[in-house]
This record gives sequence, structure tokens and C-alpha cells, in this order.
Amino acid sequence: MNANPYSERVRELFARPAHAGEMATPHRAFIADQGIRIAFSATLSGAVIERLRFQAWGCPHVIAAAEWVCTQLEGRPATDLQTFAVADLMQSLAVPMEKSGRILVIEDAVRALGAAISKTFTNTEQD
Amino acid sequence: MNPSQDIIYLDYAATTPVDPQVVHTMLQLQGAAGDFGNPSAMHSAGWRSRAHVDNAAQQLAELLGTDAERLIWTSGATESNNLAIIGTARHRQHHGRHLITMLTEHKAVTDVFRALQQQGFEVTWLRPERNGVLDIATLEAAIRADTQLVSIMHVNNETGVCQDIAALGACCHARGVRLHVDAAQSVGKLPLNLAELPIDLMSMTAHKLYGPKGIGALYIAKRPDLHLEPLLFGGGQQQRLRPGTLPVPLIAGFGHAAAIAAARMADDLAHLTRLRDRLWAGISDLPGVQLNSDPALSYPGLLNASVADIEGESLLLALEPLCVATGSACNAQNQEPSYVLRAQGLSDAAAQGAIRFSLGRPTTTAEVDCAINLYRQAVRTLRALAPDGAA
Repeated sequence: MNANPYSERVRELFARPAHAGEMATPHRAFIADQGIRIAFSATLSGAVIERLRFQAWGCPHVIAAAEWVCTQLEGRPATDLQTFAVADLMQSLAVPMEKSGRILVIEDAVRALGAAISKTFTNTEQD
Repeated sequence: MNPSQDIIYLDYAATTPVDPQVVHTMLQLQGAAGDFGNPSAMHSAGWRSRAHVDNAAQQLAELLGTDAERLIWTSGATESNNLAIIGTARHRQHHGRHLITMLTEHKAVTDVFRALQQQGFEVTWLRPERNGVLDIATLEAAIRADTQLVSIMHVNNETGVCQDIAALGACCHARGVRLHVDAAQSVGKLPLNLAELPIDLMSMTAHKLYGPKGIGALYIAKRPDLHLEPLLFGGGQQQRLRPGTLPVPLIAGFGHAAAIAAARMADDLAHLTRLRDRLWAGISDLPGVQLNSDPALSYPGLLNASVADIEGESLLLALEPLCVATGSACNAQNQEPSYVLRAQGLSDAAAQGAIRFSLGRPTTTAEVDCAINLYRQAVRTLRALAPDGAA
């Protein structure tokens, strides 16, 4: 029996959030819901996410999840943001089901960032 | 007596390590070589065990300024609270079904009253002032002709705020109402003289005063109209109020812990006051930090501080290896901030970032200094992580 609510992976990501911070970039998203606040900002190299940063106010699972998202999505096509789903994240971090509502807010924020980037591209093409 | 080498334990309000002298006392009573007899048995083995029980009752009675026969052994403060409150309510229900308690009581009291409400009893829930103290006028206004019991804790387990038990008891007795006090956080820590205090029933537990877990006691004043209905049945032990074979090693441990507490109380209080003041001086200059109890009105072993715009659960984890309690009950099942702090008028945000530091006899200056550094670092780190904007 283990009463510790945090997996080793959560502890590791919470303790060393290497992707914490914000960047001066037009590609940003912010959501406040379910008692948490989460913001993502990205820079692109062509259509690829070059750097992804987060800011978060929430429980350790939220902070660890935001860091996990950044490690997974950097170097991936920006279009992946809009189809991001938290199933792998929940499993990888062993997030308790009771916290899935908060983790889904992160999914919303990642998708919002994807939508913002897509909109920027669309506007650029129209220009 | 330090709890462990790899943690900094500042959660003594939750529980304390058993004093090594108490461990020695209890170990001597274990096994075939110890006095293992049933203390109710009518033979020499039983009498030897009974002597340990009587000695422990005397030690506890001396700590509390009462007679040993006024004490009933229980499994802990939760059981004592249940026996005192339910036992009184049931015994007095033909005289009236109105009961009074505070919103800031421990769950071991509030949940008992909620259960009684479901059984048809009427409960008035009193709110403290912003400093956590109950105004006597608030209690006076709540007492009715059919009020049978008032239950108010001595030292609050979250904030350390002390209630004026003498004044509250006098108010109750002037109106013919019984007073129960949950003293789980104060027995062995603050002076309590039951010969002088107007208390009818008082709950206590050993594990908060460096005694073993699983043993507590209920004090029942000697008054002709004070009777309880038992919750358990099955034997004649303890005046039929709490039957069951007595756990002699635990009782002996409780007694020894009480004797040590009585001898050390003044030194303990001076030690804790010095460390509490040092802790607050070390964190009070952080922006947004506030104290949730007035030190002049509180037990010095406990400091409850809030910090603005910090999430309590993350703060708790960021403080590791510091073992403290969060003022927020934020967990997977419950995101509610502390009901105690909310009842004192704190906002959700302030209650959310509250931390309870509870210091103990083994706490060192070095541990307090380490706690200060960890707290300052954790607050800086979590603030740097947070985006602007309201949740």
C-alpha cells in the first residue's frame, strides 16, 4: 500500500520544471478554470514547435502535467497541438481520476495554443 | 528523540513521537516476562496489572488537578468526544434536544453533532470572532431553556487559538448547561486545573503528548446530575461506561507521558515560544504572508500562516522534506479550503495557501531555520511559476 499521492514522475517534473516561464511571442494561450490557471507560449521554426514554455497555478499534478506537455511537444509539428489529448499524460504521470478535470484544462490550453497558432498562419497567408 | 533523520518534522499537532522513557515503560509490560495479566482478574497477575493502571490514572489526574476516579480510559480523543457528546445528548434527551458547538471544532466533534442532527437533535453552530476566539455574548445568546450541552475545544488544532474555557464554563453553569471540552491539543501542553475550571467533560489523547497512539481518556466531573449513556456494551469495566479489557501498556505509557509533561511543561512552553517567534520572524517579511492567529491568544507550539496566491497542495510538496500541514483540505476528493479558517473570515485564497507549522519538544533551532529557508524558497518558486490573472 502506498498512501503517497504523487508518482515518481510527478515528483521529478514538479521539482525540476525546466520549461517554466514565458516568452515574448504572439503564440500564446491562457485558461483559468477548475481552480487552476495555465498559460502556454511557443516559438516556431517553420511549422515545428521550436520552444514551448508554461506558467501554472495549481496542484502538483497540474504543474507536472504542464512540464510533461512541453517535453513531449517541443520539436513536433504545431498542428499536433490542436489534436493533443491527455490520455498518455494521465497514464505516464499516474494522475488520479479525481484530478482529470484539472488535467483536461491543460488539454484545452494546449488546443487553444494550437488554434492561436493556426489563426496566425491563416492571417499571414491572407496578408 | 528526533523523529527521523531524513525529514524535518513540524507536525506535532497531528501526532508526536513516543518519548523514549515512555517506550521503556510500555516495553516492560509486554511479553510473558511483563505484567500481562488482565487488570480485572482477581489474582496476583491481575492485581499487578491493575497497579499499573491505577498508577497511570494517578499520574494523569495529577497533571489535570483532579481525582483518578474521574477518568475513563478510551481509545483516544475521538472516542472520548463521541462518548461525552452522544452519551450526554441521549441521557438528557427527555429534558431537551438542543446542543451547541462551534464551526471551528475538530471533525471528531463536528461529525458527532451532524450525526445527532440526523437523529433529531437541534444543533446551534457558533462562529468565532476574526481572531478565532468565541465571544461570551455569542454563547450567552445561543443558550436556551432546552440546551443540554455545549462543546467547545480548548486549543484549536489548526490555528492554536485558545478559548477562555473558564469564562465559557461559568456562562454554561450559570444557566444549568453542561460543558464538554475537547482538550486533545492542550492536555500536557498548557496548565489545566480541573479542580478550578468549570468543565463537566473533557476529552484527551496520549499521542499528542509523546504518549502512544490508541489510548485516550474522558474526564467526567463529579456532579449529581452528570450522567452519560454508554456507547459500548459488554462488561462491567469502568463503571459500565466504557467496557472492554484495558490495554495496560498503553495506559501505563499515557500515565508516564502525563508525568513527564507535568514536569516539563514550563520548559516546553518557553522552548516553543522562542522557536515560534523565531519562525515567524523568519517568514513574516515575505510579501503577502499573514498570521492566522494572534500569538497572544494562542498555544505557542502552533503557527498558522497564509501566503497570498499560492496553491496549498503545491506549497506542501515544494516544502519537502519539511512535514507540515496545509490549511487547505485540497486533495483528490476535496478542494475545499480549511473550514476553520473560512469560519474565521479568511478568504478562500488566503485559506488555500495556509500552512500549519506545529513545533514540539524535540524541535531544534536548526530545524526551524531550515523550515524558514524551505518556505521562502518554495514561495519564490511557486510565485515564479504562476501566470497572472484570476482563477
